Amino acid sequence: MKNRFAIKFAGQSGQGVNTLGELLAKSIKNSGYQTFAYREYPSIIKGGYASYQIDFSNTEILASTKQFNILVSLASEALHKYIFGLNKGGIVVHSVNDFDFTQEEIEYIKENKIEVVYIDIEAIAEENKAPKIMGNVILLSYVWSLLAFDLRVLEKVVKDTFKNKNIDMEAEIRCLKAGYSYEKPKGYNLNIDIPKVKGNWSNSLLLTANDAISLGAISAGCRAYYAYPMTPSTSILQTLGKTYMKTGMLVKQAESEITAAQLVMGSMYMGTRAFTATSGGGFDLMSETISCAGITETPLLIVLGQRSGPGTGVPTWTGASDLNAALYTGHGEFPRCVLSCSDANDAYELIQRAFNIAEKYQIPVILLTEKQSAESLFNVRDIPKAIKIERSLKEGKERYEITESGISPRWIPSKGKPTYLVNSDEHTPDGVSTEEPAEIVRMSEKRMRKLLTLKEDLPEPIYWGSKDAKKVFVGFGTTKNTILEVMKENEDIAYLQYQYIYPLKFEKILSLEEEGKSLILIENNQNGEFGQLVKKESGYEFKEKLFKFDSRPFFVEDILDFLKS
Amino acid sequence: MAVKIEDYNTNIKNTWCPGCGNFSIHMALKQAFVELNLTPSEIVITFDIGCNGNGVDDIEGNRFKGLHGRSVPLAIGAHLANSKMKVIADIGDGGCLHEGVDHLIHAIRSNYDITILIHNNQNFALTTGQATSTTKEEKPMYAFPDGKAEGSINIGELVLSLNPTFFARGYSNDPKQLTEILKQGMNHKGCSVIEVMQICPTYNPQSNHDWFKERIAQSAIKSTISEAVATVKDTEKIYTGIIYQNRNRPDFLNNLENRKSKKTELVDEVKQVDIKSLLSSFK
Ligand SMILES: Cc1ncc(C[n+]2csc(CCOP(=O)(O)OP(=O)(O)O)c2C)c(N)n1
Ligand SMILES: [Mg+2]
Repeated sequence: MKNRFAIKFAGQSGQGVNTLGELLAKSIKNSGYQTFAYREYPSIIKGGYASYQIDFSNTEILASTKQFNILVSLASEALHKYIFGLNKGGIVVHSVNDFDFTQEEIEYIKENKIEVVYIDIEAIAEENKAPKIMGNVILLSYVWSLLAFDLRVLEKVVKDTFKNKNIDMEAEIRCLKAGYSYEKPKGYNLNIDIPKVKGNWSNSLLLTANDAISLGAISAGCRAYYAYPMTPSTSILQTLGKTYMKTGMLVKQAESEITAAQLVMGSMYMGTRAFTATSGGGFDLMSETISCAGITETPLLIVLGQRSGPGTGVPTWTGASDLNAALYTGHGEFPRCVLSCSDANDAYELIQRAFNIAEKYQIPVILLTEKQSAESLFNVRDIPKAIKIERSLKEGKERYEITESGISPRWIPSKGKPTYLVNSDEHTPDGVSTEEPAEIVRMSEKRMRKLLTLKEDLPEPIYWGSKDAKKVFVGFGTTKNTILEVMKENEDIAYLQYQYIYPLKFEKILSLEEEGKSLILIENNQNGEFGQLVKKESGYEFKEKLFKFDSRPFFVEDILDFLKS
Repeated sequence: MAVKIEDYNTNIKNTWCPGCGNFSIHMALKQAFVELNLTPSEIVITFDIGCNGNGVDDIEGNRFKGLHGRSVPLAIGAHLANSKMKVIADIGDGGCLHEGVDHLIHAIRSNYDITILIHNNQNFALTTGQATSTTKEEKPMYAFPDGKAEGSINIGELVLSLNPTFFARGYSNDPKQLTEILKQGMNHKGCSVIEVMQICPTYNPQSNHDWFKERIAQSAIKSTISEAVATVKDTEKIYTGIIYQNRNRPDFLNNLENRKSKKTELVDEVKQVDIKSLLSSFK
């Protein structure tokens, strides 16, 4: 595809690949491009292979290509692993002593006219009286010189990033300069002709969806965060922890996900805003609390960061196979709301909406992310305006008053206010336990009516693309991003994005079908969980389906190949 | 206006067995609230599932009857949101030592300013009398006519092994002493754990008042953990009273760097926040 360029840093886990990637992403962004950064890493602390790919363009960019133009590798395993990802005419830069390519690799390199550059970074660091570890930035500035970008931009990012760290900044800058002036292959031409973006993007933000969720929660008046670490949601704990002196938010690492969910429920009951985030395994442990929040009509908000596989699965890789868990977990029947974000922009918005929905409807709300959104860096120009806080608090006579909308009055327990009983036993409107059949039916129906009221309240799915597109992909989460990339050069396709998954507004799907569009269900899972929901709710079954469940996100090439076939 | 015991009574019919120790535990609890001059709107009680939790209808106040084994984390969530409330986690020996034992351990370690009130009737009563870790080992119980195969847990010993700041033991047939313990426990700034030896006439009729009378003895407060451990482990006597208290360890909220000097509660702080000043690190 035109107008895009990709660079991959690779190495062992623990070699500093992430730092290099972040420095480069920032510097490219500050040079006036749009970037998208994607991480791959194993679930170990040292060893294995990890990578950090930065795609950049002159328009908004939300997904990676499988292939890349530059590969930088610090370790041999990663070099073998990623060499076949290089484009024709690409270049590989590495620092592995005595490295031998296999016969197959040599042929690939020849066939595709790939340049190979080895740099003895330790020797250069030594020449510059710098510690060995600074060798990494030599590779970074060498890449920078290949791109023929202004060294001052990179230098500033490096300085800003390390200004509070205890390092020899002068040595660091000497290494940067040495890398930048290191000899380039004769006659080599990278061939990037991407115009810069218009307007000032250098002041834009680089955010993961996790960062955006943290910022959105802060903005929405959330005052407590309770969590147990689990990829890909862990970094929310860090972002909120790092800012807690400024925000005053109570940030607490709980002894288990069971506890985290109970703490959220207790704090929400008491009248503040709190949430937790986890992944599939932790989410399973929260099931009982979701069910309890359902019957007690206590607001509850859980961010479910999806990774792939049952059990421990493939812990640091992506997928979207927990939709059914979000939709159906918890015993008994009760209303809930399931949302899904695709990038940093909508993550920021949806967490704020999620708080409003949880409080207004007094139900559990689950916001889905995926490793692909939770940990990838998105370029966000401006944080949008905050969404108004709606708490819908109201004092009443009975906590579980039977109403037409299903919503009963809820007020904050406090000194001098009428007290009430919140009860996970089935109860009468005053909260007192009951086993009377008529009362049980009356209260269950009241609760379930909230689902209808909520459905009316929710926005329609978002249609991306031209009205005239013939093919419309339908899905949720990060599949949107890859389709949007492909759409830049193919006006024949569009995407229908479900941010508000449940209660499901399926009418748009039916009307697109009626208009004669060919609809394609796209999901990052094996069974098409969203498609199952659409069928259950509307009776409509997708004829065309594109599923991917190898723990990798959809790359641009996946869609191009699909459209060709 | 002074708080009266009637403020805490409800007109809901109670479902405990005649002679159940829960009656006097609730009597003591209400009396303690009255003597501390707390109105029902100033207290929060989280209830577990069990005969203990069935007392939720019997007492006024801000009440939340949640899930089995979870009344402790639920209470902590409520306390952290509004520490002006007196928060009590009400729980049975089953819920506390079995389903939710991790919560007890971490609550003590974290020293949240709440009171954990354990109704120790030495069995799972509501599910009709199964053995718990406090049931006597040889005692025939539901499904196990030859007694349990597992060992036991001494609640006091467990609590004291965790460097608690308050541990007391009461007896359900001595509501006067229990009222005093409850008052001290609620006034303690930190996690107060109160175990109540509770009569269960239905599933533990052998341990009736006569049985307890021979064994219950008052203990003075101990100044070291090891003395306190020796007291709760005594094989002849069941010592009651405030057994251990440490006033020097700050409670959780006063240990939180970013909250300890705050005058407001989390429930007062839900407002739109301008995040602009946080954005520079993402540029
Ligand atoms: C998750 C879960 N498991 C099991 C039960 C069934 N159950 C209800 S009460 C109870 C035991 C109660 O024993 P204890 O906590 O000692 O309270 P008691 O009835 O003795 O007061 C059990 C196992 C439940 N309600 N929830
Ligand atoms: Mg019991």
